Amino acid sequence: MMMPPSTARRLCFLSLLLLLLLLAAAASATADAAAAEEFTEELLLRPLPDRKALAHFHFRSSAPPASAAGRHHHLFPKAISQLVQKFHISELELSFTQGRWNYEQWGGYDPMSTNNAKPPGVELWAIFDLPLAEIDATWKNLTHTLSGLFCASINFLESSTAFSAPRWGFKLNEGNLRYGALPREAVCTENLTPWLKLLPCRDKAGIASLLYRPSVYKGYYHSQKLKLKSSQSLGIILDQTLTVVLQPNTVSGKQLHSTGGQLQPSWSMEHLFSKKLSGKCLVSKSSRVFVEIEKGIVDNVDKAGSDVSSNNDLFVLSTAPDRSLKELDNLEVQSSSLYEYDVNNYNSDKPLNVGITWKLPLIWSCTRAPYHASRFLMGSGNERGSIAMSFLSTGLDKQLVDSSNDCSIKAVVFQVVPWYVKVYYHSLEVFIDGNSKAISEVVDKIHVTPSEDKLLPGTMEMLLKFPCSMQLATLTLDFDKGFLHIDEYPPDANQGFDIPSALVSFPEFNSSRSYPEADPLFVSPLLENFKEDGVVKSYTEVLLVPLTTPDFSMPYNVITFTCTVLALYFGSLLNALRRRIGEEERGLKKAALVRELQFALLQSQSQMLRWSTIYFFCWI
Amino acid sequence: MAEIAGDETPPLPSSSGAEESSLLSSPPSPTAISGDEPPPRTRKPGTKRLVLTASVLLSFLVGLPLLLKSTEIHRSPLPSDAIADLSRRLQSHPPSFPCGLHAVFLRSGPGSPVASLADQLERAISTQHHLLPASSTAGNISVSVTIQSGGGCTSSTAAASPWRCGLLTAADSVRDDEVFDELLHSALGGRDGDGMKVYTIVIAEDDDGKGTRVVIGKHRHAWVVGKVDEAEALSLIGNVFIKYFMNGGIEEGETGIGKGEFMPVGSDGNVVLSFSLLNADPNDWVYDWEFKNIGERILTPVVEALRPVADINIESQVLYHTPKSSYSYSDDKLGGNVLSMGDIPFFVNSNEWHLDTSISATGRSKVLQFVVYIPSARECPLYLQLPDGELSKTNAFISPMWGGVVIWNPPGCSVGSKKAHGTRRQMSSQELMETLEIFIGQLRQLFGLKPNYHAQGMDVATKFLVSEKGFAQWELDLLYRHHACSNLLSCVATLESLSSLVQSLPRMIVMDEIGRQVELSLEAASLAQRNATLGIGDSSAGKFGTHFIAHVRWRL
Repeated sequence: MMMPPSTARRLCFLSLLLLLLLLAAAASATADAAAAEEFTEELLLRPLPDRKALAHFHFRSSAPPASAAGRHHHLFPKAISQLVQKFHISELELSFTQGRWNYEQWGGYDPMSTNNAKPPGVELWAIFDLPLAEIDATWKNLTHTLSGLFCASINFLESSTAFSAPRWGFKLNEGNLRYGALPREAVCTENLTPWLKLLPCRDKAGIASLLYRPSVYKGYYHSQKLKLKSSQSLGIILDQTLTVVLQPNTVSGKQLHSTGGQLQPSWSMEHLFSKKLSGKCLVSKSSRVFVEIEKGIVDNVDKAGSDVSSNNDLFVLSTAPDRSLKELDNLEVQSSSLYEYDVNNYNSDKPLNVGITWKLPLIWSCTRAPYHASRFLMGSGNERGSIAMSFLSTGLDKQLVDSSNDCSIKAVVFQVVPWYVKVYYHSLEVFIDGNSKAISEVVDKIHVTPSEDKLLPGTMEMLLKFPCSMQLATLTLDFDKGFLHIDEYPPDANQGFDIPSALVSFPEFNSSRSYPEADPLFVSPLLENFKEDGVVKSYTEVLLVPLTTPDFSMPYNVITFTCTVLALYFGSLLNALRRRIGEEERGLKKAALVRELQFALLQSQSQMLRWSTIYFFCWI
Repeated sequence: MAEIAGDETPPLPSSSGAEESSLLSSPPSPTAISGDEPPPRTRKPGTKRLVLTASVLLSFLVGLPLLLKSTEIHRSPLPSDAIADLSRRLQSHPPSFPCGLHAVFLRSGPGSPVASLADQLERAISTQHHLLPASSTAGNISVSVTIQSGGGCTSSTAAASPWRCGLLTAADSVRDDEVFDELLHSALGGRDGDGMKVYTIVIAEDDDGKGTRVVIGKHRHAWVVGKVDEAEALSLIGNVFIKYFMNGGIEEGETGIGKGEFMPVGSDGNVVLSFSLLNADPNDWVYDWEFKNIGERILTPVVEALRPVADINIESQVLYHTPKSSYSYSDDKLGGNVLSMGDIPFFVNSNEWHLDTSISATGRSKVLQFVVYIPSARECPLYLQLPDGELSKTNAFISPMWGGVVIWNPPGCSVGSKKAHGTRRQMSSQELMETLEIFIGQLRQLFGLKPNYHAQGMDVATKFLVSEKGFAQWELDLLYRHHACSNLLSCVATLESLSSLVQSLPRMIVMDEIGRQVELSLEAASLAQRNATLGIGDSSAGKFGTHFIAHVRWRL
């Protein structure tokens, strides 16, 4: 089926001219390989500067284009293929995230943060290959299907108030993209299990067997993503990724909190997942584990004067890697080193337990996005407020761009607000380094879809241009809080309402990586994703807006008040009808006389009553 | 409230006087308080009290329509009389489909047969039909007889069969059965069309001394070869017609079609056949199959044949790490691991076998799962043991309305066989075809037919020609009849229970949509019944009844 590697190598060595041939051969090899369904599994581990570790699982299933797609499958999940066929999806991404990606500590300018840092809760977007008129109806059906498939409330995205159709702020498209987010959706193991069911080996074998639920859900960040691309020529490519940030469960890691021992905990796979890797999923085409050492460490190693190998002056990897790769960023500067382990060489008798042991205490920082974007609320009370968005320079631009006067940095903001937060877009104000600026100076392009009550959410796409010398920019927008119908409040309405994260992207900054030393026959879907053009993106925080909540006990109060008034009315009316007050008073006087006479009698009677009571209680 | 009203009404005086406007504020009685003796009541209560009481009563009366209006319930009128009427009609005259029986006698002798003989035979055959069991869906049967001999053909008066005289002679019956079957089919006009179904039984007189045998063809005919006298021929005709053509060979007391079994067809008339290959433990061996080519080739004729009953879609997938959930024990004498019948209910492991309902099977379609289970090396070979201690020949079982399972032991697996450690192999096309044949048998069984026939209860050798479609034409007729009947009956049962439910709950809301649906399905049911008696349509009653059930349940 595939061209044998030996043949390809011989061709390669023959002459430079044959480079073209080799390319053709590689192309035909991939074309041939596409004739069968494939599955690959990969894991990337990376130590993080704040004593944590990042684990990124990447599974790719691909199905060739075939007439029988959706009906006959060997490795590719039938459910996904049928989903693509039925809803005519050309691209789809669904992510379930718990926790927030720390752009300061874990990186903001690398493929990981760009592609795999997702806003909290559920985010779903899809591009349909359908006439524009049919897209909304298809989206609604799709949300219901996904909801059933992943045991999540994705069906809440069905309502037209929950999704929007951005044109260029999120991803450039022709109006066939729909985007929706549910920031409050809780993510847990019931969402992971159906996600794992899409893998041929589930978590029974291979890299996914490391997913020990208690350690995965103990982490600081957890994002499970499903991304699929489908086209007539390529078939369907399904990428399933799971990104977790974990605290290595080591003894030294615990001591660190009290005394200043080592700065970085030494850890291994077993510390992270309480498991070792005992072999690959047998049907996978390739199964690899990568350890990524970030630029900050690589620079330190270089400074120390040693070679960046798996055993150097600063750290040692517990297992010798099968291959090491140098990673270049888009400016052709070495960014990090990758060490690759082929899981094929390991089995249950010889499990793989990659770890890193630090020889010297080390402090490093990750590469950050040009601006740190954050969003917050201003104002008080339940009537109005304002949303503010701040961009704090991280100093990256100083290194990258000449600080001439004309230079500027572009940023795209995309934000969706629910209809009950009625944003006045004309009230947009921009402050640069504390000084108010005219909007036309900063905003290059803006596209606003105003919200309609109970019909449409407000969508704002904005292209901003900041001067390079700027330290802090702030944008503010005023809004009024709307009123909801009593039925529309969610349970626990007093907690407030979540506004989904805004997305800030920097189109001039690209986080793609390249691997110049890699063998051309070395195919890794994980690294392919890193090579892809990736605009630097970051998500802001979710906002929590408290709305005026009605007194939910009001109907009950009304009923009780009304009943009391009616009871008073009818009670007094009947009293007036029945009783004769004058006669009663006379009767009372008469009774007082009689009572004196009967006093003695009453005494004896009460005596009797007491005895009878005692008898009564005894009887009971 | 009623109590209050009751309390105040008795003291109402009967006199009606002028109205007074002063109400509560004034003292109710004019008697002096300071008096020593209570003056006895000297006069009747005045009109003031009357006015008060009347005002209370009036306020209730005014409130009453408001109350009734606010608690009003919308109930769409249901045609319960029509439903009851239809149900009565179906009970007294169960749906029956008219069909015809055509007997052809091929005589080898010369000379023209006597016309009166045909009529005589026809009367003789007609008298046998009281043997027809009550559960049969066959209605009135028209009988016709044709006698062909060297000199020509004679038909009974009622004969309307397109028998082409002289195309076939008794001598042809010595040929291969398959060939004769096709010849016979062409002699009968070569149509499997709609309209009234006429079943032909040919008696070919042949004196080759091999004895009598009966062959039941793929279409709507059977033939008898051998030397049979007239009485014997008549009883054979009756037997074959009633037992097979009308009842599918299901004996009394057996489960099968028409014996309270449901058809595994979704209420929208769709069925998805989902085929799964389960590798119990891929660490031992991984098998794949070429289902796309072979499966489609074998199953397409079956799908085509069943199209009037159900729209069938086919899917396949391969799954890994799917152990069974019941225990098997090792049996040295049988040379393998044995699973007894009692463990079969626990065989399907719903936790690990994510067979998945199909997304493409929307709404109320039915998914039938067909599973090939490949045991792991530890439990290989795995056999099913029948209650009598024998091993199952097919190594397969079905679960009604769910599907079927085949245990497939890979070649070269024996007790203690070594792990092939994760080698990936292909199921050979021969093995796949054998497995699919078992599945077709299981499909027949799920539809209520016999997986295969044994000539039980016939005193002569009987042979059944197997259609490549999996279902012979006369079997399909049986399925259509049964499907139409059961749909009609279940529709009426649903309508009846709905109408009795609505009647028993007077406070239940009945939406207009429900009323409309009820009327619609009632109309369709009547139409289907009329069509059935006229013999029109294979599945006229097929696709409306149960479609409605789910809808109504959802609304309620």
